[in-house]
Amino acid sequence: MTCEEFERVLPELGSNHSIEQEEHLKSCSACSDLVSDLNAISKQGRLLRASEEPSPWVWNSIEVALRQEGLIREQPGILRVHPARLSWKLRWLVPAAAAGLIFFGVLLHERGGIPAHEAKQESPVGVVTADLQAEGMPREDMQLLNSVAARTPSMRDAYEQNLRAVNAYIHDAEQSAHNDPNDEVAQQYLRNAYEQKAMVYEMALDRSLQ
Amino acid sequence: MIERAKQGNAEAFEALYNLHKRRVYSLCLRMTANTAAAEDLTQEAFLQLFRKIGTFRGESAFSTWLHRMAVNVVLMQLRKKGLPVVPLEENIETEEESPRKELGGDDPRLAGSIDRMQLQRSIESLPPGYRMIFLLHDVEGYEHNEIAEMVGCSIGNSKSQLHKARMKLREILKTSRAEKATKP
Repeated sequence: MTCEEFERVLPELGSNHSIEQEEHLKSCSACSDLVSDLNAISKQGRLLRASEEPSPWVWNSIEVALRQEGLIREQPGILRVHPARLSWKLRWLVPAAAAGLIFFGVLLHERGGIPAHEAKQESPVGVVTADLQAEGMPREDMQLLNSVAARTPSMRDAYEQNLRAVNAYIHDAEQSAHNDPNDEVAQQYLRNAYEQKAMVYEMALDRSLQ
Repeated sequence: MIERAKQGNAEAFEALYNLHKRRVYSLCLRMTANTAAAEDLTQEAFLQLFRKIGTFRGESAFSTWLHRMAVNVVLMQLRKKGLPVVPLEENIETEEESPRKELGGDDPRLAGSIDRMQLQRSIESLPPGYRMIFLLHDVEGYEHNEIAEMVGCSIGNSKSQLHKARMKLREILKTSRAEKATKP
């Protein structure tokens, strides 16, 4: 057997060699070294198996997506709580739920579904309340509220509540991320918080274009 | 656990994720050599799996099914970037990719002198098609029939690609060792 013939069958070779192949390996140091090297590479490859782990935020993102898509369905009577994350989950749900209520309210208002006697008092247009200033609400948030009040006064209070909730969420998330910049979970929740705020603005601005 | 996941049990999903996350992430990481990209691909692979979990009938091992999804996700990513994936025909490879034949060479053996970091770096420099087969077979331990099913090639092609991957790695490792030896 020649070296060319041996290398041609090498891809198919397992641990069992034919007598001819064994004889060739015994007599040819080049092919013997080649087989030895390839086996060493293969063996070393095994040691690389699954040694790294993805960051915790990967699972968090998957879980959020599964819940949003309705693929996670909690069993009745079972409350699944992660104590370390409970406050985060509740805080995350607050602005999300509030945003959902705003959207629903906007739809109802658009379709004239809100009875006149249930319509909220109109808030004064262009007035920046002393309360909001004192609470440290960002100026752009107050401008947004004034804009909402000018177009759909009945929605102003709902937007104000939602902005308060999402600002509190951002504040908490920023503090945690600041305390431990390497905490991936805190970073993800901070991203979520900003996204929630962006969603509120988007809804408010979408309305202004209609 | 799979049945509970099919019913939408959150803990079952998380348990399946924890059981398989390392292998999936490891594969994605070695294919992309980028942690952010690997995490995105890992997330995508598991999401696809969980969305389709209702269709799993147990024809293959769950881990094989999952890794097939992971491989598909990685391959799609490579195709998006315009990178070559496993060639279906054995002869379709560039001159640069093809390992040199070293019959009758006089180099000392690699055995006993390959370190893990060196091998990892060498794997990263393999062409994507070779890299995928090497990772699935030699690192993750899949058999050629499973690999063939995952990547959509023949068993013979899988064996041939693996051999070429190992030959290419040998070439890279020897070159790297020779370069180190000549440095002052």
